Amino acid sequence: MGYIGQRIPGRNNLRLARGAGQFTADVQMPNPCFMALVRSPYAHAEIEHVDVSAAQGLPGVIDIATAAEVAQATRPFSFARPPEVEVNLADMDGKRLREYALAERWVGYSGRPVAAVVAEDPNTAAEAAERVAVQYRELPVVASAEDALKPGSPGAIPGWNDNLVFHTRYAKGDAASAIAKAPGVITGRVQVQRHVPVPLEPRAFVADYSTRTGRLTMYASTQMPHTDRSILAGALGMASEDVQVIQPDVGGGFGCKVPGSDEEVLVAFFARRLERPVRWTEERSEYFLACGHARETWFDFEAGYREDGKLLALRIDAVADIGLPFGAWVQSSVTAYCLPCGYAVDHCEVSMRSVVTNKCKWGGYRGFGKEAASFCMERIMDRIADAAGLDRVEVRLCNFIPADAFPYGQVSGALLDSGNYQGAMAKLLALVDQEAFRQEQAAARTNGRCLGLGIGFELTPEGCSMPNSDFLQGWDGATVRMDPGGRVTVLTGVTSPGSGNETGIAMIVADELGVPLDTVTVVQGDTDRCPYGLGNFSSRSLMIGGSAALAAARELREKLLSVGAKMLDADPEDLELANGEIRVAAAPAPPAADAPRNPGGPAWSVPIRRVARKIYSHAFGAETAHVEPGLESTRYFRIGNVHHQPETEGRLSFYPTWPFMAVAVVVEVDVETGFVEVLRCAAVHDCGTVVNPTLVEANTHGGIAQGLGAALYEELLHDDAAQLLTTTLMDYTLPTAVEMPAELSVAHQETPTAATPLGAKGAGESGVAGPMAAVASAVEDALGVEGLALMTLPLKPERVWRSIREVAGAVQMGETA
Amino acid sequence: MRQPVRITVNGRELEADADTRKLLVNLLRDDLELTGTHFGCGTGTCGACTVMLNGRCVKSCCVLAVDADGAELLTIEGVANDAPHPVQQALAECHGVQCGFCTPGMVLSAIELLQDNPAPSDAEIREALAGNLCRCTGYVNIVAAVQLAATRMAQGDA
Repeated sequence: MGYIGQRIPGRNNLRLARGAGQFTADVQMPNPCFMALVRSPYAHAEIEHVDVSAAQGLPGVIDIATAAEVAQATRPFSFARPPEVEVNLADMDGKRLREYALAERWVGYSGRPVAAVVAEDPNTAAEAAERVAVQYRELPVVASAEDALKPGSPGAIPGWNDNLVFHTRYAKGDAASAIAKAPGVITGRVQVQRHVPVPLEPRAFVADYSTRTGRLTMYASTQMPHTDRSILAGALGMASEDVQVIQPDVGGGFGCKVPGSDEEVLVAFFARRLERPVRWTEERSEYFLACGHARETWFDFEAGYREDGKLLALRIDAVADIGLPFGAWVQSSVTAYCLPCGYAVDHCEVSMRSVVTNKCKWGGYRGFGKEAASFCMERIMDRIADAAGLDRVEVRLCNFIPADAFPYGQVSGALLDSGNYQGAMAKLLALVDQEAFRQEQAAARTNGRCLGLGIGFELTPEGCSMPNSDFLQGWDGATVRMDPGGRVTVLTGVTSPGSGNETGIAMIVADELGVPLDTVTVVQGDTDRCPYGLGNFSSRSLMIGGSAALAAARELREKLLSVGAKMLDADPEDLELANGEIRVAAAPAPPAADAPRNPGGPAWSVPIRRVARKIYSHAFGAETAHVEPGLESTRYFRIGNVHHQPETEGRLSFYPTWPFMAVAVVVEVDVETGFVEVLRCAAVHDCGTVVNPTLVEANTHGGIAQGLGAALYEELLHDDAAQLLTTTLMDYTLPTAVEMPAELSVAHQETPTAATPLGAKGAGESGVAGPMAAVASAVEDALGVEGLALMTLPLKPERVWRSIREVAGAVQMGETA
Repeated sequence: MRQPVRITVNGRELEADADTRKLLVNLLRDDLELTGTHFGCGTGTCGACTVMLNGRCVKSCCVLAVDADGAELLTIEGVANDAPHPVQQALAECHGVQCGFCTPGMVLSAIELLQDNPAPSDAEIREALAGNLCRCTGYVNIVAAVQLAATRMAQGDA
């Protein structure tokens, strides 16, 4: 039996549990110095003067950089647009924004780096940064998308004629007339708040520069080492082969550790300038201010439906507050691209306006815009059910894309590869006994307790492959080599931020080569050692990086079989690789297998390590001369179901695989306080072929925790001057073990994709959207107040309490309970 | 300003000359190169810097190094010798580890819990770990691992 499909815990677990992880901040370097940043306290201002004299005199201060020096020594950059690339996503309608790592004359958000200090120790660096005096002239602030869209709104960015950076539009059929003719029509607004991923490890960079070799070595808590190398080389004006990026253990990423940050470029700048190791580890408050926000979007919808709940026509007018137009603002376009998710709607219009404000730029966050789309559709489904007086599950079942309709072309042109949404929902309902719950709910009510059940569905496409993008591509590379002793090393272009794909990739390679799992080593995250690859995002590492490793291992397998056949005097077709040996498939069980097949003849089997040794040590021998020497293969894999030629293929489709999840939660709501407790959660997840159920489930557990956090607790708040109010983990609150439901289960349905050789789809981002929707639905169910529609997250006690009273009035609620 | 600090870390007596502004977490990490204790928030909220000070768990980002003078410290590097501690072993087996950044702090909080309460309920485990944030696991496999460790420690077979 092979490893694929088995429950195997992560191979790094014990090392990490013993505290032997090597995270970027743990990397030791001789004689390091420490960087601290001066950040703008204003969201929108001109910089009139920077005075560093008070900082210069402080003992222990080594160097201070102003914006002018950085602008002279580096080139402007961003994640979306590295310097060597002409296409500028933020360069629409003549709108431009060229920014260096330090703001020169203008700051567009509070927290923007303005000056940088390096000192012998971190405390001195921080003190010196405080001594830098910056004189600002405040400019009118655009603090919200609503303000940004008002006629006559001040510009968030000087010189732009308006605050719209991009308008994404998709349409199918004639939504306006279909809505006019529909038997029922509902309208409303769904809102998703501003979020941050919050990996436990803050961002950290350690760089050194050698004048002897002219090379920069950067240890980075990053998801994408090769991309990072391109950006650093471009920003510093270096050849990329003179930059080595090493990704040590990464303490979580969730999208926010994509490269292209001011801070990293500054660390590299100082290392080169000082010819000395420079370290920077982010303060948690800096993370909230400047790492990158996500998700803040509203959706105005108009939906026409039939009496049976069938959605006939849908118009969605969405607006995303992307802050400044850097980095991962493209998530807002992905939101539009996904709509209307897993539902078939004949007439549909989607509009998404991505609007700039004087808030921090967006960074990637798990879900990458898909979670907002799914949350929006789930809320619409519940509103239709309520308006039509139908069961919420029934409405979903009647609108799902049928299982026999795949591949299915969605409104945007997205080609959904495969799916069986009804199957997942049926499996979920088998796990969640609705009848029993209704009895439990009624019994609880008699005791004054309000329990509610909510169901959610999410569609989370993976493997992002954008046309003309240097980074977001659906291919990757891997090298597999076997040494003369038979041990295997896999070097991948994909990386792991702690999600476990190194374990999954090792399983795939071990199965293909028939060797024990513990003889396979996986090396990731070093641009000098690993083949060029695009790293970790969009759940690509296992399905794309694993497929590349599979292709490379397959080449080795063929060579081993070919030589093994000569050594066993057999036909390669009659051989199999398993348990560390090549054997004739018809071989008897041990111990007879150890005997010759016939007297004086060849053996039944030969250890793979002996075949490897033969290939290395006897390249001119009769058994090996017909194959190329060496046992190493580098292969690149391009995923299927990506369509970049709309003119010939009729569509532009850049997500190859479409995993999905159905989820149910049970909550209890305290009517007096509005406090929501999640009691139980059950999910059915489908990512096609499951390589390792333990890893998929664990990832989904984490996704669900982030979804529940989004539903109930997490929210970045700004004041009217766009000052961030939530800059610590005491203000931006994550679920602890206490907030998570006591019962949480994840089951699998496997609908394989044709886009990868194993049928595996991505699994890393699943679990967020479904719980967001299911919690809102469950709280409504618990309260049982007619007309109550919880369309805005998070469902903090105050919001729930107010919503109850707005709709029902306190007295009536008390009676209902 | 600098001040001498004498502490016992994982059974070893050590002396350091510490900047009075230095946090205990930084003394451990920078001066003693015990990097298994992690810095995650600096406000005592995330628990990645959890160590035991005189037998009780503290957040080492909220203790000044000079305030630990004379104390006995246990860090993740000292909880086990050759064989891993049952909590570490169970976390590995139950896949209660993903990125691993919160894990050392979780281990120490779990060890403290099991010292006080060798047979905790799931709810008691969750309560005891509420000061240790994890963003990867949803805590599901961590709670299971602490239960497994408790069972094995009670049976004395670990």
